[in-house]
Amino acid sequence: MTAWGLAWRTLVHNPARACLAIGGVAVIGALLFDMLLLSRGLLVSFRDLLDTAGYDVRVVANEGSPIHRAPLDGAPALADAIRRLPGVERVALLRTGNAMAMTPGHENTAAGVTLIGSTESAMSGAWDIVKGEPLPATVAAGQPTPLIVSTKLAELLGVGPGSPLRLRVSLGGGASALPALDCRVAGVGTFQFEAEDFYTVATTMAGFAAAQGAPESEGDADLVLVASAPGVGPEAAARAIAALRPDVRVYSNAQVVEQFNARAFTYFRQISVVLSSMTLVFAFLLVATLLTMSVNQRLGEVAALRALGFPRRRIAANLLCESALLVGVGGAAALPLGGALAVVLDRILRGMPGLPERLHFFVFEPRTMVLHAALLAATGFLAALYPVWLAARLPIAATLRREIVS
Amino acid sequence: MLSSHRARSAAFVTSLLLAAAFPLLSAPAVSDLPTVLVSRQLAERGKLHVGDTATFANDASGANATRFRVAGIYEPTPDPMRFTSPRIEARLHLPDLQAMTASRDDPASGESVRALNIRLADPGDADAFATAVGARVPGIFARPTTRARDGSDPFVVLERFHLAVAIVTVIGSTAFLLALMVMRSEERRETVGIIRLLGVSQRFVLLVVLAEGVLIAAAGAVFGVLVALAAEGGVNQFFQWRYDTTLVFVRVSARIALQSVALAAPLGIVAGLVGSWTLLRRDIVTLVRR
Amino acid sequence: MTGTAPIVEGRDLTRVFPMPAGAVTALGHVSIRIAAGEHVAITGPSGCGKSTLLHLLGCVDRPTGGSLFFEGRDTGALSESDRSRIRLNRIGFVFQRFFLLPMLTAWENVELPQAEAGASKSDRRARTRELLEYVGLTGRIDHRPSQLSGGEMQRVAIARALANRPALLLADEPTGELDEATGEQIADLFDRVHADGTAIVVVTHNPVVAARAGRRLAMKSGMVVAG
Repeated sequence: MTAWGLAWRTLVHNPARACLAIGGVAVIGALLFDMLLLSRGLLVSFRDLLDTAGYDVRVVANEGSPIHRAPLDGAPALADAIRRLPGVERVALLRTGNAMAMTPGHENTAAGVTLIGSTESAMSGAWDIVKGEPLPATVAAGQPTPLIVSTKLAELLGVGPGSPLRLRVSLGGGASALPALDCRVAGVGTFQFEAEDFYTVATTMAGFAAAQGAPESEGDADLVLVASAPGVGPEAAARAIAALRPDVRVYSNAQVVEQFNARAFTYFRQISVVLSSMTLVFAFLLVATLLTMSVNQRLGEVAALRALGFPRRRIAANLLCESALLVGVGGAAALPLGGALAVVLDRILRGMPGLPERLHFFVFEPRTMVLHAALLAATGFLAALYPVWLAARLPIAATLRREIVS
Repeated sequence: MLSSHRARSAAFVTSLLLAAAFPLLSAPAVSDLPTVLVSRQLAERGKLHVGDTATFANDASGANATRFRVAGIYEPTPDPMRFTSPRIEARLHLPDLQAMTASRDDPASGESVRALNIRLADPGDADAFATAVGARVPGIFARPTTRARDGSDPFVVLERFHLAVAIVTVIGSTAFLLALMVMRSEERRETVGIIRLLGVSQRFVLLVVLAEGVLIAAAGAVFGVLVALAAEGGVNQFFQWRYDTTLVFVRVSARIALQSVALAAPLGIVAGLVGSWTLLRRDIVTLVRR
Repeated sequence: MTGTAPIVEGRDLTRVFPMPAGAVTALGHVSIRIAAGEHVAITGPSGCGKSTLLHLLGCVDRPTGGSLFFEGRDTGALSESDRSRIRLNRIGFVFQRFFLLPMLTAWENVELPQAEAGASKSDRRARTRELLEYVGLTGRIDHRPSQLSGGEMQRVAIARALANRPALLLADEPTGELDEATGEQIADLFDRVHADGTAIVVVTHNPVVAARAGRRLAMKSGMVVAG
């Protein structure tokens, strides 16, 4: 019988003990798996979210941050200049603000929305139309401002394509004295960056300016989105734009991700390192204790095997195989358990305000499984070292004598 | 001739000295410079000490730079919302900051601020005051500084997250604890069988197991709290070093310690009883049989 | 003692156990020769050093003084792995408490040392069947130790000890936990083993078992006093 066979028989000989131990490893292993997912999850999710918008370079004013943006000076001219660069495929201007949206006659049931103005009629990746039409390229004079509303807002206000809607922009603060703007829902869509407890509305730049009561500000923007040409890449495009206008800040998606990694995500990375380490220490202590107690219970058997001529390495191999089985079976069970736990933990963390609905803290990557397996294997090996040392070094004659006397 | 030569030399040296002294005479003395307080982190990075002069500018090119005298170095109040950002900051007198950051194109910029901190005569009026100000002055946000601990507070979310992790850890360790208790009971199988053979009742054996469980569980729970206190120091030291902050990240309060003991002790006792149940439910012959 | 070369020879063997209350000399200056095919019984009161001597003869323990030769080799000069190999291939051990592996069947317990010695699967199968027939347990091959009586467990233990055809069988109180009738059965089995050419040294309190031996050594206070 091989060491694996003997180890397996040893485990199944005490099914209750084995099930509890494997269950314990599975639960702790699930936690370890989730902490490993957490260490990169937000980063991977955020990068995916940025990339799905279809633009890989962002231009903002020198003041502010990628999130809290100040208006860009000469945005239309800047956009034109960027369009003419050889490494650029597509350019869009964006501006954002806050507004209250309400159906006519129901001003007291208004919903707070994030208002997006865009030069692009359809920003596939930023929002996807599920009903109705994209924003028209031009709007005839006197026509209501066209809007794309999010599916959640459409459901809340009971509107659909063609429905009238009124918007009152907030220029900061709780009260707004601006008149409401009459609009029309052109389409209903899903917005990639919409947070769970937020609603989003997109409109044309002219519509945005009109809603602000400043039609002359139609050319203003606080964000320029650039899609680099295939073969050129975002880094080269970003360098070209920075050379064009040194007074603005240019970020490739990778640089935005890196900034968030250094600022916002670092806490979760650190906490995942701390919790992963503690989980591993925990697993090590528990498996080592279990194996040590198991060896102490079987000292007579071990001494008898040694007396029969089984060498130390065979005894050690038996114990290492037992540890490997315990940690291996438990570790395998930890994966589906960890997946389920990740859903729960992700839901908890996504309770933070203002997070895009599509942003997740726990994102599966195959490398995480490999790392998880490697860490558990190392822990199982280390946890077996002391009981192996105990069993391999026990004095045979003294142990036999003690077992007989006891 | 010599005297005229000497006189001309003296005049030349004097004028040289005067010329050299002119910039010093016209520059403000260090004590006349406006003062600034710098954060400890900025002082370390810029190798600044109290009394040094430092130049600040609102522009990366250094245009319109202003010299200040470092009047003091302060430890920034740790901000849990910003602990990942290095606290490279300085505090200026408001007029100095306004003078430095004013835009020539915007005459009002020299009189603008981004925020006003208000201390009310009655802090209980904060909500009403904020609402009233927001309603009367469009374009500003007014909010109390106290946090509403509702579900959307990031720290409430983090608390829930850590609680979930703690629950999972307790479940995992309970499984192990039960396994160890089952093993312990198996070790004592013969002893319990012999005791039962001698006529001792199951109830008495159970009481002994219970008493042992209470002692071990209580001792273990207290030991666990001590380990937590030691770990508290280690975790805080690590994060304070990592983020160069004095923020306290982990605090084992009396309430938390008592909660831990209240959870661990009964778990230990129940685990002991469950382990012993696997023994006591067997008949005496099975217990003593090898 | 016959004139043939000894299987195992101990010269001036001493074994001292350091204890907190003071060193204990379990064996003092004992010399012994066991010839091939010999059947020796070692008797004496509890604590006289019988098991200690057996452990030294079986290369399970090392003497504090003196030397032990197994088939002419000085075991003191051997490494632990060499001593393990001797125990696996040349010595069989039978214990008072059987020490069968509880998770394995009778068949698997007997097969285990053969697998460790590198025997092929077919050889193991044949040998295990032969041994279990030899000890009269062909009907219990798939039973675990918990399903066997004391006598049956000891017979499985004897079969296991004979698995690799040892030159020497050492038995430490083999009937210590058995009733008289079962003890007789075990003694009969030892007679068969001895008749087949295996040298046997048995430590025993049982006069029936001791009477079957060709030579009896009496021990007292760590020394051989007779035999």
